[in-house]
Amino acid sequence: MASVTLEAVSKGYGNHAAVENFSLCVEDGELLVLLGPSGCGKTTALRMIAGLVEPTRGKIRIGDRDVTRLPARQRNVGMVFQDYALFPHMTVKENIAFGLHQRALVKSEIDDRVDALLSLIRLSGFERRYPEQLSGGQQQRVALARALAYSPAVLLMDEPFGALDLKLRQAMQLEIRRVQRQLGTTTIFVTHDQEEAMSLADRIAIMADGRVQQHGTPEDIYRRPISAFVANFIGKLNFLRGTVRSVSGPCCAVALVDGTVVEALMPVACEVGRSIQIALRPQHLEISFEFAKSSGLRATIEQRRYLGNVVHYFVRVSDNQVLLVERPDAVPWLAVGQEVSLAWRTENALAFPDRDSDGRAGI
Amino acid sequence: MTERDATAALSEEKRWRLFLWPPLIVSATLLVIPQASFVWMSLHKNLGMGLLGSTLTLENYARALGDAFYLDCLWLTFWLSLVATAITLFLAFPAAYLLARSRSAWISFLIVLLLISSFVTIVIKVLGLSLVLGQEGVVNQFLQWIGVISVPLRMLNNQSGVIIGLIQYTLPFLVMLLFSVIQTIPVSLEEAAELHGAGRISTFREVLLPLALPGLIAGGLVTFNLNMGAFTSAVLLGGGKVLTLPVVIQRKILLDVDYPFAACLATELVVLVFLFNVASTFFIRWKTRGASQVR
Repeated sequence: MASVTLEAVSKGYGNHAAVENFSLCVEDGELLVLLGPSGCGKTTALRMIAGLVEPTRGKIRIGDRDVTRLPARQRNVGMVFQDYALFPHMTVKENIAFGLHQRALVKSEIDDRVDALLSLIRLSGFERRYPEQLSGGQQQRVALARALAYSPAVLLMDEPFGALDLKLRQAMQLEIRRVQRQLGTTTIFVTHDQEEAMSLADRIAIMADGRVQQHGTPEDIYRRPISAFVANFIGKLNFLRGTVRSVSGPCCAVALVDGTVVEALMPVACEVGRSIQIALRPQHLEISFEFAKSSGLRATIEQRRYLGNVVHYFVRVSDNQVLLVERPDAVPWLAVGQEVSLAWRTENALAFPDRDSDGRAGI
Repeated sequence: MTERDATAALSEEKRWRLFLWPPLIVSATLLVIPQASFVWMSLHKNLGMGLLGSTLTLENYARALGDAFYLDCLWLTFWLSLVATAITLFLAFPAAYLLARSRSAWISFLIVLLLISSFVTIVIKVLGLSLVLGQEGVVNQFLQWIGVISVPLRMLNNQSGVIIGLIQYTLPFLVMLLFSVIQTIPVSLEEAAELHGAGRISTFREVLLPLALPGLIAGGLVTFNLNMGAFTSAVLLGGGKVLTLPVVIQRKILLDVDYPFAACLATELVVLVFLFNVASTFFIRWKTRGASQVR
């Protein structure tokens, strides 16, 4: 087991920078999720840690060892590939034993280890099957056992559940978490699925454009996003446009397009006059019939969607924008066409610099 | 898709299938009739001047399989084909691997070159070789210039000339064939092997080779079959001194005008090549039965 440190790592392909100035520290025994949209460089970052891609600049350390120029086979990392990459001509047992076999362990030791791993992934009795005779989830577990067989310093997982259906996916997430906790292997998991990231991670690092945008615990990132991009990437989000009227400490008063003035928090400082967007989570919006409230925003209910545990209301606010409001399933429901007032607590409204006025800040 | 749509699609497919018949009939006719007439001819006595005896006899076969000279020719053909096939496989695999794995934009250009070179008629290729391989040819001059040899190598009118000719003819085919084989092996398998601790040699031996083996066998057999039937290289680069079976057959026809015996040798060649292919296929099935069961 070991920590993993990346220091200002960059990788360019021609003129295009896949990963730029990427710094990250993964603690010993931690499960870190690299989360980002496709093409953000998260897979390249992972492959650099694995040793399958050589960085153009920067340093990679596993434990105290500088592995930047070390070939993959000497890094003692395990990896679960997106397509599993199980050897089709080998049985389950031969697949799992592959790394042990390369390390020239004696046969009895290999047999014991394979047995232990098979029971860990709950596939005892499958050792003589071939990968094609297994279901997707079973192949996935064999790939996991193969990667863990020689107790690697770090386990890397590259979107391993992409090909599985939702139910199996959730079951595998629990499985991975269980195995990872049990063994305490430092794990780096790449995904573009924010729910998967939230449910698995000790910490999440959100990537875009080859850089880490923010890293922290799932709560941190969900509650205290530092940019509109991060806020939008994790969970559903509404945006209201406006201009900063006045600033007092971390709060600001914002004039919306229709002239209504509301209060919001600023994770990043914005000067007066700056155009901004206020990010509001659907479940933080309160609907009421009182129009008189100072922070109330007038709205009309446009559509209602009943989802069982919650009800989604699509409400049109005065500047012709539709917001999503999520309320618990409670009677009475609000009727379509009804005039209402929207309210929220200031701490739940986050003001970010507008993407259009400052392209980089938003993304 | 409704049931009626499915039936319609099926009958549509059936109608299209009719277009397969004309080429099938033409090629079957052109294959079966000459082959059958060869076999028929081989079962008769030669009366000279292209005339056949009237009774069926196995005399020709007894002569072909009983005479040490013809058995030597057969063995030589087999041996040269095998050596040329082995060398060609050895040369083609790394090239095919590189072409399949490289992401360079040059690759498609190189493949086109390969394709074009395989279109060049064998006679032209062989004549080119006889210029290059001669005592005063470029190869000998170069080798002498860099000091590897002092006396020019004899590469024409002997077995090495024939082998070089066979290799040159089959190499582009084999590279293209193996290229498509290696493309079907996901690169992630090699990455997984390396990551889990395998060196280059282990990765090759334990992952790449077993997965490419069916393709290597198929490519090897194609090459071997081409070599067994190769006539031009043997005649032009062997200089009449390398008597492979195709060369002997041609002599029997042109010099001795012994059609029945030539037909007998041709039949023998075809049958042996066929048996060799069947045997190899069964051998491979047996060797790889574990993995192929689940494919």
